[in-house]
Amino acid sequence: MNIELKNFGLDGLYAKTSGRLDLDSAVEYGVTIKTAVEDAQEEIKELVLDFSEITFISSFGLKVVLELYKEMQARQGSLKLKDIPEQLKNSFKMVGFDKFLDLD
Amino acid sequence: MFKTLKSKVIFTSFVMLTLLVSVFIFFAIQSRMFTKQLMVQNYGYSIDALFVDDINDSIMTLEDNLKSLALIGGLHYRTSRSDELTDEVIIRIFRNYPHTLGGGIWFKPYIFGDNKKYNCFYAYRNKDNKVVLDKNFASDEYDYPNQQWYKEIISKVTPKRNIVWSKPYYEKIGSTTKMVTAGTGIYAKGKLVGIATVDWEISSVIKNISKMKPYTMTFSMYKKGKNIKNSFVLLGHGDDYIIATNDPYLDGNSLVGHSLKEVPWYAPDLYWKTYITYHGKKYIPFWRKLHNGMVLVICLPKSEMFPYVNDFYFYFTAIILLLIFMIFARVYFGMNRYIMNPIDKLIDIAHKISNGKDVNIKIDKPAEFAQLASTFDTMTKNLKTITKEKEHINSELNIAKSIQASSLPDVFPPFPDRDEFDIYAFMEPAKEVGGDFYDFYFIDENRFMFLIADVSGKGVPAALFMMTVKTLINNLSQVGYEPQELIKVINNKICQSNKQGFFVTMFAGIINVETGDITYINCGHNAPLIKSGTGEYKYLECDSNIVLGAFADFDYKIVQSKLEVGDTICLYTDGMTEATNQNNEMYGEERLLEKINKFDNDDIYTMASDMKNDVIKYSEKIERSDDITLVIFKYKNKHNNMRKTIYKAPASQENYKDFYKWLHEICNQWQINDELKNKLDMCGEEIYANIAFYAYPQTQGDIRVAVLKDETQITLKFADDGIPYNPLEKPDPDITLPPEQRPLGGLGIFMVKEMADNIQYEYTNNSNILTLKFNINQNVQ
Repeated sequence: MNIELKNFGLDGLYAKTSGRLDLDSAVEYGVTIKTAVEDAQEEIKELVLDFSEITFISSFGLKVVLELYKEMQARQGSLKLKDIPEQLKNSFKMVGFDKFLDLD
Repeated sequence: MFKTLKSKVIFTSFVMLTLLVSVFIFFAIQSRMFTKQLMVQNYGYSIDALFVDDINDSIMTLEDNLKSLALIGGLHYRTSRSDELTDEVIIRIFRNYPHTLGGGIWFKPYIFGDNKKYNCFYAYRNKDNKVVLDKNFASDEYDYPNQQWYKEIISKVTPKRNIVWSKPYYEKIGSTTKMVTAGTGIYAKGKLVGIATVDWEISSVIKNISKMKPYTMTFSMYKKGKNIKNSFVLLGHGDDYIIATNDPYLDGNSLVGHSLKEVPWYAPDLYWKTYITYHGKKYIPFWRKLHNGMVLVICLPKSEMFPYVNDFYFYFTAIILLLIFMIFARVYFGMNRYIMNPIDKLIDIAHKISNGKDVNIKIDKPAEFAQLASTFDTMTKNLKTITKEKEHINSELNIAKSIQASSLPDVFPPFPDRDEFDIYAFMEPAKEVGGDFYDFYFIDENRFMFLIADVSGKGVPAALFMMTVKTLINNLSQVGYEPQELIKVINNKICQSNKQGFFVTMFAGIINVETGDITYINCGHNAPLIKSGTGEYKYLECDSNIVLGAFADFDYKIVQSKLEVGDTICLYTDGMTEATNQNNEMYGEERLLEKINKFDNDDIYTMASDMKNDVIKYSEKIERSDDITLVIFKYKNKHNNMRKTIYKAPASQENYKDFYKWLHEICNQWQINDELKNKLDMCGEEIYANIAFYAYPQTQGDIRVAVLKDETQITLKFADDGIPYNPLEKPDPDITLPPEQRPLGGLGIFMVKEMADNIQYEYTNNSNILTLKFNINQNVQ
């Protein structure tokens, strides 16, 4: 899968991919981003996941999001989701991620 | 009566012993008798040798003497010798015959002239054993021609050379003595001129007789013989007069010259008598006729004759009997020790072995039993080996049985994604591997074939043939033949590969599950039972054609029909109808018809197991010889606007992509809106992942997924043959927790539960089946 990674500001990381975050791709997505966070020269404090081109997210994708959230929390940073398509928001709500993530 | 070997042997030995003893005693008695006869004979010989010959000698000497005297007398008369010369010759003769007491020549009176009346010469042995002449007889005083002896002799001497023995009489010769005179005639010129006589003194005869004490006959090595004390003797003058006897009960002297009839025991046939009883005692008489016609009888007392014989036979018999008893005792105890005891031991060992105990079989003696025991030992060991081998074969047969059984589809429902029909089948094998089988499969998208068959014969060969036939039918069915052609090809193939002459009965149905059109093919099989609608089961009428494998190129008649919703068809093999009870009565088709109607049930699983149990119960006391096989097919409903697609592949993460693409395609085809599509996608992924990760921890297995759609619902059905697992039992995660406390897992199932309108889990026939239902209308709203 193709993941676009960009640093921004002093301590920001921007990640964008397209397609499905599911059994097949979620793990790779998670590992790639996590590695990028860990390998950055500066400590990443802000992680932005661009969901604008994500068409599907399953529990495996949600699990990765939770994992990354926890990772950023441990770094006393933050995780932001950008441009979540409407049809995916239900999934986040269903598992209660709207409690700690800003879906809009 | 004599059941045991021991009693038989004892009985036989006893009979033989009795026989042996009897025979021995018989022979002992015979032998004793024979011995006694031999001894009596020997007594006879010894009496002859010891006495009779002696007496005969004396008599012959006397007679010789007498003849000499007669010759001298004749000479004297013819030559007119002087008397002195004749005297001299006589004295000389007498000297030569010491046995003679006296004797002389007596001429007839006046034979030498009228003036000489007496002319005789007589000499005798005096007390000093000197021979002297006695001239006193030629006197008127004695007048010898008038003497009784003279008269007797002269009257009997003719014809010439006749010797006459006189009765015993008394005469004074020297002194008065008792004597017997023998006389013979003196002839001159053919004329009797006088007689010659010799005297035999009886006293000396009696003296000799008294000495007659024969020795007892004995076994020489045993004891020397001794004189028989109480014997006695009788000398008779022919059968007429007693000459001498020392019979202790008679006065021998006074009886001399008396008739023999005065002797109480004497009888003329004494010669033939074996014994006489005299004064309470038994005597054996030895009767001898002497040379001069006299009779000598020697009587030996029986009690003294066989002194050791009775003893000998008594002891001999006793020793032999003792020996026989000892042999018998030896045989008896030997039998006990060498036969009965080892047999008892072997019996004991056999008991132990039959009770499954490990016994070391060892008998040292006797050799035969040692050999038997070692053979027994070997046999036991061999038996163990053979038993093991048998167990081995049995276990292999069991494996064969299970292979055979597992070759039959036994997962029900076999097509969980197919709602058009229910099918259930089982094969209850008989003790050995059998020849029944059933099978069912789709031969194309909509046509479903189910069949039941029975291969002739039993055991491994039938089972192997069955596997061949089953595979053959399966393969050929997939080729795409039309039923009519299909069965012909199947038959021809079976004919080809059937050198052993097996044949197969088969009933098959090919149904188009969409339309209910069905084709029946019966190849010599039992007519199946069929129920139409709400009616009762009936035997299907259809041509039974001929068994498969009999004739190549046979044209099988097939039956075309149509099943309506709810119709049920039941196939069975003859193991069902021909099951027998203990009275050897068959279960039978009538009973089957009655029972199937009794057990009729919407749930064909229950119905099948009821029917099976009924047959098994019917024949429970009998070891079944044939498999019981049953196939029940129930046509439920036609497609009814329903659309259905099935996915089947090995469950793995790698295959997931294929799966969701398949799912997407269906959603697109069926024009399912995005929200529902997203739900199906998410739930599908979740369940797929569950099965791929957890259902087959050690093995590889398939995942089967069916998507069905009717007017109101979409149904997702997942099936796997992995470990039983009900995902619905998993507790829901707490979604109100702050993110840092949340576990990473457990979200998926929770989401599935949230999204699906209905979830059901079941575990049947070794399969996990999870059914998710989603309402279409609601989603539209």
